[in-house]
Amino acid sequence: MQKSLANNSLGKKLIAPIAILLALGMPLYVRGAEYPLMLACIIQLYVVAVSGLDILFGYCGQISLGHAAFYAIGAYGSAILHNNFGLPILFTMFVAATLAALVGAVLAIPASKLVFHFLSLATVAFGEIVYQFIVHSPGGITKDFNGIFSARLSIFGFEFSTYRLWYYFGLACVIVFLTAKYFLVHSKTGRAFTAIRENSHAANGMGINVRKYKVMAFATSAFYTAFAGAMYIHLVGYVHPDTFLRKQSVLFLTMLLFGGTGSLTGPILGVISVELLIESLRVLQDYQGFVYGILLLIVIVALPGGLFGGFKNVWNLLAGRLGKRRGGAGAC
Amino acid sequence: MFLRLLISGLVLGGIYSLIALGYSLIYKASGLMSFVQGDVMTLGAYLGLTFYRILGLPFVVSLILTVLCAFAFGMLLEKGVIRVLLNKNVLPIYVVLATIAISYIIQNGVQLGWGSITQYFPSVFSKSSVKVLSVSVQPEALLCVGASLVCMVLLHFFMTRTRFGTAMRAAAMDPTAAYSCGINVSMSTGITWGLSAGLAAIAGMLIGPMYGVYALLGSMIGSKGFSGAVIGGYGNMYGAMVGGILLGLAEVFVTGYISSTYKNLIAYILLITFLFLKPTGLFNERAIQDD
Repeated sequence: MQKSLANNSLGKKLIAPIAILLALGMPLYVRGAEYPLMLACIIQLYVVAVSGLDILFGYCGQISLGHAAFYAIGAYGSAILHNNFGLPILFTMFVAATLAALVGAVLAIPASKLVFHFLSLATVAFGEIVYQFIVHSPGGITKDFNGIFSARLSIFGFEFSTYRLWYYFGLACVIVFLTAKYFLVHSKTGRAFTAIRENSHAANGMGINVRKYKVMAFATSAFYTAFAGAMYIHLVGYVHPDTFLRKQSVLFLTMLLFGGTGSLTGPILGVISVELLIESLRVLQDYQGFVYGILLLIVIVALPGGLFGGFKNVWNLLAGRLGKRRGGAGAC
Repeated sequence: MFLRLLISGLVLGGIYSLIALGYSLIYKASGLMSFVQGDVMTLGAYLGLTFYRILGLPFVVSLILTVLCAFAFGMLLEKGVIRVLLNKNVLPIYVVLATIAISYIIQNGVQLGWGSITQYFPSVFSKSSVKVLSVSVQPEALLCVGASLVCMVLLHFFMTRTRFGTAMRAAAMDPTAAYSCGINVSMSTGITWGLSAGLAAIAGMLIGPMYGVYALLGSMIGSKGFSGAVIGGYGNMYGAMVGGILLGLAEVFVTGYISSTYKNLIAYILLITFLFLKPTGLFNERAIQDD
């Protein structure tokens, strides 16, 4: 009984994300739409990464401005394991993501006592340290400033040689990771995360081991983001270290806040809207970064609830107006 | 070797101190963290360049004009963005993100305004080098060390000896109590942001003649400045000065004697070490509450 209830609401919660992602697959039905299709693939892997950040920030309330580091560990880890040891790609992706989860846990043990601003500084420092290690790696294992090449995704000899094929792989990943996220946040662990977000002292008083759950949130989040990094390198085939600057961490956070935190749909909406915004700003060429900054600032100041929250406000406003009008008509 | 390193360490340390001071002042006055400090420094360097090289004004006049512009910018930032967000009672992360958005605007804006190539900042003195204890040094380096020390001393006197500084410290300590004593808290927070921006702009003008001026000049220095502020004790004015100078010396000496490969790593390793092991910094500032 309990289980079927959970399944029902899971089904409902997953309908919206899956519908959006299927809609994203529109280019699948158009011949020769390679670029939009690649964009759809990038959006999928960003959804995984931002969902990971959502577990940490949206549910557990812990800020990170260094998630690009986990993204980098995933990408480089998988590429190096595949290139140097010839391990199969899907396996290397999981190993790299697990490695990132371990790093995240090790970082979180001392970091868990830091609150908001200082946690963000610690994660900034962590991100920079990882970046510096990539560009000055011992023995040149990451090829330093040259960036690293790796093979396209192939599973059991089946090569995902086109974006079209990769799209299905990405969709499967998104479904698996979102389902896992759903079960995680609706479990005892997820409730502990939310309790820590709302009030860590009260959570502690209720017998929740705050440090342990913070470490778990960091590790899970790192796993998601690192897996997305591994997806990225085996989609594009190449990464440059400058992909992993603080800008990337800020981008993840921007996407999350644009879409709205603490939901399954939020990260998807955020990723799609920010990614499409960035793509459409490309026509401005030199002015791209400048206009992006201004738009970002306007959205932050005007719509701090994210796009999702903004829609909700507009909806409530409209509903309120309509309701009033109807009420007024009734009174007349 | 030692003396040469010492001087360049002090130069870099002075710059870090000015940036770290800005962070500490802002944190003390409003409990917020600004990620825009380094880019205000870039903006200051470009403004200084415009006044000094393009308009041909004397250095001191350009410095004063630059500081005034930066001060206005800082106040505008507080009144126009930060205060608006705080009044909406948003999560603190939005304030952080807003300052990051402004730093993108500055980084890209200066490229649009002044071009994307590194600009040459003409030297301030006619001599190209002076001898200090048998070591020849760029006179601008001495100016940098001297000016940052003067700034710190002036700031100390401003904060402790003037009515206005006292009011600002009171407003930072307990806004409600200060408000009930008739202190204009909102004004003093605005002035704090202005002062921080002014300090950053001075740093930009001092470093311009030595490093050249380019759009990402301040972005690295800005994030390393956090390290200086944390080493000293975040929110402590004197801590920021000492922490910044220690950071500059550490960076230069490690680069000089050990290896330059990990030059950019030192600041962040110090930052993370202090956060984890001694979050209250050298001056034991109780800003960072344990959770």
